[in-house]
Amino acid sequence: MTLPATQLLLPADVPAAAVADALAAELAIVTQRAHAIDRTFWDTFDGRLRDAGLTLSAGAGRLVLADGAASAEEASAALPPRATRLFAQDLPEGPLRERLAPVVQMRALTPVARVRSRHLPINVLDEIGKIVVRLRVEEPAAQIGKTTEPLPARLHVTGVLGYDRDFERVRAQLVELLGLVPARGPVQDDAVRAAGGRPGGTSSKLRLALGADERADAAAVAIARRLLEVVEANLPGTLADVDSEFLHDLRVAVRRSRALQRELAGVFPPEPLRVFRSGFRELQAITGPTRDLDVQLLEFDELAAGLPGTEAADVQPLRRLLEEHLRIARRVMVAELGSDATRALLHNWAQVLDGLVESDESGRPDAARPVTDVAGERIWRVYRHMVKMGSRIGAGSPAEALHDLRKKGKELRYLLEFFASLYPEEVVKPMVGSLKALQDVLGRFQDREIQADLLRSLGDEVAALEGGAPALMAMGVLVQQLLADQAVARAQFTERFTVFAAKEQRKIVKKTFS
Amino acid sequence: MTVVAAYNIKGGVGKTSVSVNLAWLAAQGGARVLLWDLDPQGAATYLLRIKPKVKGGGRRLVHGKSDPAALLKGTDHERLDLLPADFSYRNMDLALDETKRPTRRLARVIDKLAGDYDHVFLDCPPAISLASESIFEAADVLLVPLIPSPLSLRTYEQLRRFVAAEVPDPPMILAFFSMIDGRRRLHREVVEQLSADNGVLRTSIPSASDVERMAVHRRPLAAFAAHGTAGRAYAQLWEELRERIAPAQ
Repeated sequence: MTLPATQLLLPADVPAAAVADALAAELAIVTQRAHAIDRTFWDTFDGRLRDAGLTLSAGAGRLVLADGAASAEEASAALPPRATRLFAQDLPEGPLRERLAPVVQMRALTPVARVRSRHLPINVLDEIGKIVVRLRVEEPAAQIGKTTEPLPARLHVTGVLGYDRDFERVRAQLVELLGLVPARGPVQDDAVRAAGGRPGGTSSKLRLALGADERADAAAVAIARRLLEVVEANLPGTLADVDSEFLHDLRVAVRRSRALQRELAGVFPPEPLRVFRSGFRELQAITGPTRDLDVQLLEFDELAAGLPGTEAADVQPLRRLLEEHLRIARRVMVAELGSDATRALLHNWAQVLDGLVESDESGRPDAARPVTDVAGERIWRVYRHMVKMGSRIGAGSPAEALHDLRKKGKELRYLLEFFASLYPEEVVKPMVGSLKALQDVLGRFQDREIQADLLRSLGDEVAALEGGAPALMAMGVLVQQLLADQAVARAQFTERFTVFAAKEQRKIVKKTFS
Repeated sequence: MTVVAAYNIKGGVGKTSVSVNLAWLAAQGGARVLLWDLDPQGAATYLLRIKPKVKGGGRRLVHGKSDPAALLKGTDHERLDLLPADFSYRNMDLALDETKRPTRRLARVIDKLAGDYDHVFLDCPPAISLASESIFEAADVLLVPLIPSPLSLRTYEQLRRFVAAEVPDPPMILAFFSMIDGRRRLHREVVEQLSADNGVLRTSIPSASDVERMAVHRRPLAAFAAHGTAGRAYAQLWEELRERIAPAQ
C-alpha cells in the first residue's frame, strides 16, 4: 500500500523553526524532537534504483530502501560491515534483497553521495488528537570529501493510510500558505549535483538525435563521440572490476564503433581508418576471454540448478576453476586495457573525430552526402544481405552459417540504433522487434556452443582437481544440456527468420531505406 | 502471514489489551501489522484514536462487496494499521448466515490483505457464535486470556474440545493468565496448577493500573509505560508467543 506523499522545497530564507511556527497558526500540530541523520546513498553506476523511483541509503549500520517520492521505507537490512561495493547476493536473505535483486540484477551498488540532514518531524492532528498527516522538515548538507555543502531544505509531507482527504487539505494549505513548490527528485540528486556528478548515474545508451540533412561525416562523428564517451566512462569500472557490466558495456561500445567504422567507411580517410579498425579489433580481442568467463559464471547457478540430484553440488569444483581462469584472464586484460597503447588509441581516435568534418574530402566519398542517403543505403544493403544469407540456411547448413548471419544481424541492429531518429518509428520499431527475436535465437545458438566448448576445454584440469571425478561427470551433463538448448535454438530459427524476412516486411524496408 | 485471534467467550478478560499491545510490539519489531477490531464495542479502535466506522458496514464487508484495503486506517504507530470496529458488527452472525460457507468469510476478507502484512491480530467479541466459528477458521493461533478461576478454566476446556471437534483445520490454541493478582491465593494456586499444561504460556499478565490507564492515554501500554510490570509482561508474552508461532510462519 503506497501512501500519498510529496516533497516541497523550502525557500532559502525560511528556517525550520519558522516553518513550524507558520504551520502552528493554521493547523493542529505537534512538533517532535529534531535529530540529525548521516546517510550514504547507494546506486548502480547506471542509476537503476533512481530509474525505478527508489533510493537506497545506509545509516547507523542499516541499509534502507525507500520510495523516492515518499521517502517511505519499503524494506531494510543490516549493512554488511566495511562494504564499499555490494551485490544483491551480498545482502542477507529477506525483503530488501528480494526487492533489490530484480532491479539491480548483476550490477554492483556503490556509494553515490553522502548527506547529513537535520530532521524536524511535525505531526498534524485531527480533532481527537489522531495523527492524520506526517510532516518532516529536512535541512540537508552534502558531505564532499572533508567539506560540507548545504543543500536546499525541503518539507516532506506524507499521508496516513485512510486519511487521504487530510493529506490533500494539508498539502494545498502548505502550497498556499508558504508558497512552497514541489522538489525535483530526491535529496540524493541535490547531493550528487553538489559533488559535480550527474543524478541518475551514467548511461551507456546511445540517445542520438540526428538531423536528416546533416552531412554523413558530421553524423558519424556524433555517433562515434558518444560511443567513445561510453568506452571511457566504463573503462575505470572495468579495470577496477566493480561489476561485469562495465566490461560488457565497454565491449558493446567498441563493437558498435567497429560497425560504424566499417559501415560508414566512406566518411573517414582510408589510411588512419585502417589503423583504428585494427586498434579497435585488438581492443575487442583482449576483452573477449574475460567476458566469456564472466558470462559462464553469471549463468553458472542457473545452469547448475538444472542438474539432477547431487550433480549441482558436484559441479562446484568447476566454478572454482572458472573463477581462477577469470582471475588470470582479467589480469592479462587489465594490463593491456590500462596500457599507454590503449590510452593513445582512444586519444588519437578522439582527435580524428574532432577534425574530421573540416578535413580534406578526397578519399571520403560519402563525407558530404546527407546522412539519410548513406544510412538508408547501408541499412537496405545489410538487410538484403541478411535475407539472402538466411534463406540459404537449411537443416544441413553448418553452424558457421548461423554465426555469420548473427554477425550481420548485429551490424544491422547497430545501424538501426545509430540512425533510428531519421526514420519513422512505426517502421523501425517492428523491424528492430523481429530482428531482436531472430538475434536472440542466433545468440543462444552461438553462446551455448561457446559455453560447451569452454567446458570441454577444461575437462583435463577439472579431472585433476580434488572431487574432480564427480565434477567431470556433472560437467558432461552440463555440456549435454547446453547442446540440447542449442538444438532448441536452431529449431526456432526458421520461424523467427520467416517473420524477419516476410514479403511485407521486405517491401516496407525497401520503401523506407532504399 | 500469521493470524492471531485474541478470543474468549467471556468479556473483560483482557482481549483488547493483549491485541493492542502485542500488535504494537510486533510492529515495533519491524513487522507489518494489521489489527482488526471485530468487537462492536470498538475498544481497540478507541484506544488507537480512530473513529469506529466502516464505510458500508460489516455486512458488505463479509459479503465481499467492500474492498477491505479501502477501509484500513493507519494508526499513530509505524507499521500498525487498523481495520476499525463498526457498530453494525453486532449483527455479524446475521450477515454471515446470509452467505454460503459462512465460517470461511472472515478468512476471505483477511486473505485479500495477506500480501501487505506479516501479522494480523483479531480483537474478538465475547461470544460463541457463527462469527466465532468464522474466527476459528481464519486464525492460525487462538490466544486465550484466562482469569485464574475454576469456572474460567472449565470454559477454556470446553473451547479446546469444541475447536478440536468442529474446526476443519484447527488453529493452535494458546492461553495465558490475565489480570493476575499475586496477593490472592486462589490465583497463585490455579496458575501453578495449570502452568505445566502445553496450551498455557509461561507469561502471565498482572492486574495493573497501567492497563486501565491505556484508555486515558489512548495509546498501547508499551508506548507510555513500557517498563512497568504490565508493560514488561506484555513484551515477554510477545516474545514467548513469537517463539511458539515461528515454526507456523
